[in-house]
Amino acid sequence: MNAGIAQLQMQFRDYTISLYQQGFLDDQFTELKKLQDDGSPDFVAEVLLLFFEDCVKLIGNMARALDKSTGTVDFSQVGASVHQLKGSSSSVGAKRVKGLCVTFKEYCEAQNYEGCVRCLQQVDIEYKTLKTKLQDMFNLEKQIVQAGGVVPQVDID
Amino acid sequence: MTVEQNFEALDQFPVGMRVLAVDDDQTCLKILETLLHHCQYHVTTTNQAQKALELLRENKNKFDLVISDVDMPDMDGFKLLELVGLEMDLPVIMLSAHSDPKYVMKGVTHGACDYLLKPVRIEELKNIWQHVVRSRFDKNRGSNNGEKRDGSGNEGVGNSDQNNNGRVNRKRKDQYNEDEDEERDDNDDSSAQKKQRVVWTVELHKKFVAAVNQLGYEKAMPKKILDLMNVEKLTRENVASHLQKFRLYLKRISGVTNQQALMANSDLHFLQMNSSLNGLDGFHHRPIPVGPGQFHGGAAAMRPYPSNGILGRLNTPSGIGVRNLSSPPPGMFLQNQTDLGKFHHVSSLPLNHTDGGNILQGLPMPLEFDQLHQTNNNIRNMNNNNKSIAANSMAYPNFSTQQNSLIGAPNNNNLLVLEGHPQASPSSFQGHQINKRLEHWPNAVSSSSTLPPPTAQNSHHDSLEWNNVSSSYSIPFCDSTTPGLDTTNPRAFCRNTDFDSNEQPGSFYDSLQMRQSGNYGPTTDVMLSSNSSKEGFVVGQQQKLQSGGFMSGDAGSLDDIVNSTMKQEQSQGDLSGGDLGYGGFSSLRTCL
Repeated sequence: MNAGIAQLQMQFRDYTISLYQQGFLDDQFTELKKLQDDGSPDFVAEVLLLFFEDCVKLIGNMARALDKSTGTVDFSQVGASVHQLKGSSSSVGAKRVKGLCVTFKEYCEAQNYEGCVRCLQQVDIEYKTLKTKLQDMFNLEKQIVQAGGVVPQVDID
Repeated sequence: MTVEQNFEALDQFPVGMRVLAVDDDQTCLKILETLLHHCQYHVTTTNQAQKALELLRENKNKFDLVISDVDMPDMDGFKLLELVGLEMDLPVIMLSAHSDPKYVMKGVTHGACDYLLKPVRIEELKNIWQHVVRSRFDKNRGSNNGEKRDGSGNEGVGNSDQNNNGRVNRKRKDQYNEDEDEERDDNDDSSAQKKQRVVWTVELHKKFVAAVNQLGYEKAMPKKILDLMNVEKLTRENVASHLQKFRLYLKRISGVTNQQALMANSDLHFLQMNSSLNGLDGFHHRPIPVGPGQFHGGAAAMRPYPSNGILGRLNTPSGIGVRNLSSPPPGMFLQNQTDLGKFHHVSSLPLNHTDGGNILQGLPMPLEFDQLHQTNNNIRNMNNNNKSIAANSMAYPNFSTQQNSLIGAPNNNNLLVLEGHPQASPSSFQGHQINKRLEHWPNAVSSSSTLPPPTAQNSHHDSLEWNNVSSSYSIPFCDSTTPGLDTTNPRAFCRNTDFDSNEQPGSFYDSLQMRQSGNYGPTTDVMLSSNSSKEGFVVGQQQKLQSGGFMSGDAGSLDDIVNSTMKQEQSQGDLSGGDLGYGGFSSLRTCL
């Protein structure tokens, strides 16, 4: 059984590191993990939940704002939502999402419709990808805990 | 006893410092809240600037510090900043994802005592208590200053004219310490528990204005005004601070094409602006930045206000860090022409939208959100307000009681009355929070958290609805028929949803609705009826939590959560304009 835990832990460690290496997560995520303690054992998951909710909301706003059927597109409105998404993604360490937001914002400021729409699609894909990845990571954690082990602290260089 | 010793006596501080955090982004707000807790501050959160103002107005002594985001839909963060500084004279820290120096500058000129960039790190927050200390320290120094000037006027005047603020303050520190004690004693004697606050009624103000006019505006000095007014119990300090405000007000007014205010209703207008600034026993001055010649003012500060815009505000008292002497020599007021941060009611709009326009060009204006967005937020916030008030207040039971005792306690502005605070038992508190939050998990959006739970029933009701309403969301958008996306069909990421790739949007939504509502209907009941989840895991559907698992892997919890939260979002969207969302996407797809 212990071998099983060790294996899970290694799996978890490797997976986590890969997320950082692939640019899904950055230091801020590490900081969030530091805030998680016995007093708030689900802090990271809670925050990420809020973040994904925000993604949904903001992407919805952006899509509506980019909807040409209602008239002219208000790029400043799109930009405002992008800005907010940038803020929250940077706060949780969602590196790729944040990077996309930077590009997205530029398109907004340039009032480049196609660029904006492309970015919107990409952002949508990106946050969903992240969601899945993190889901897997949390599942690994859960398995470790259920097997009686402790979730290892992963140090990212 | 020195000031430092006074502070040390209240050695709980900065533990338990009461912070009000405002950010419409729930993710950031949550993180901020947790960071602040880790710094051992007492935190109140709200995602609406308006709500924040209400809380502050309710009792400004309830908080020591305000942290606010810059971009908020219901009110510009800078405006909130000014209002808070003006009405409550609390230190305000700005928070933003805008790293553009122009924003930082704007924060400074609007009176922020600090400007933090997102993502905020805990190290930055660990030191924010210094702003509270500084603020109080300066207030004390201010009132002492007045005393000194009466006696040995030249010294103070001479110094302030020439030296920069910092040095002056440091030199006189020792003297202040002595005087502060005296002053404090006097205050304690004169007012049993609370300081007597002078209420500047219209009549009183009229007397004041009459006195000023009689003396001549340029020559009006607090002492003389006081004598002329001949009002009992009015102190020279009261008059001095009122005079300063008045002068600033006039400068501000004259810089704006609001002559009517100046002419007809100046008294009332002025008083309205200062409605909460009654009774300045100490001087509630915003700090004036260090800078040579700021007291001379000279040409630098004499620029007309409108064109001054940003630059001139370098000389405003709303600078960072250094607090000004409270009743500066007479000539000084003239130079504080740009100290208009206090009276933003009149000028903030022009600043933002016209003269500030060149600064803000090209940047998204939060105030330009359309009705839909506004309504979305409002509805969402309205729905969430009740719930999270219930949630959070139950989560902080200790807090509310302790806060009450704090309010009742003698709390003159000279002392930091920050008694031992709820952080004493963090673990129990946290557990409490999580257990309670279970009930309100779907509704757990940060909002005001200090009010007692009005209606727990609301939250139950709402969460039931939330789970059963489906969506008109952008899923078809990402699923659009652009060829490049097929291979990376995002739906593939949604592991538990059996969407057909080529489903029509309409039927897609229907199937989503049917499927999801089927899932969540009974689940919701289970969730709400049994609060027995001991583990206190907020995340994940409640039925899974009963097994005690962190996140049950049975059905890809995070995914389901997101789907369900999507529905929450969508239901909100539906309330305000669902058709728009749906219709919009199909047209969008055809565009691509």
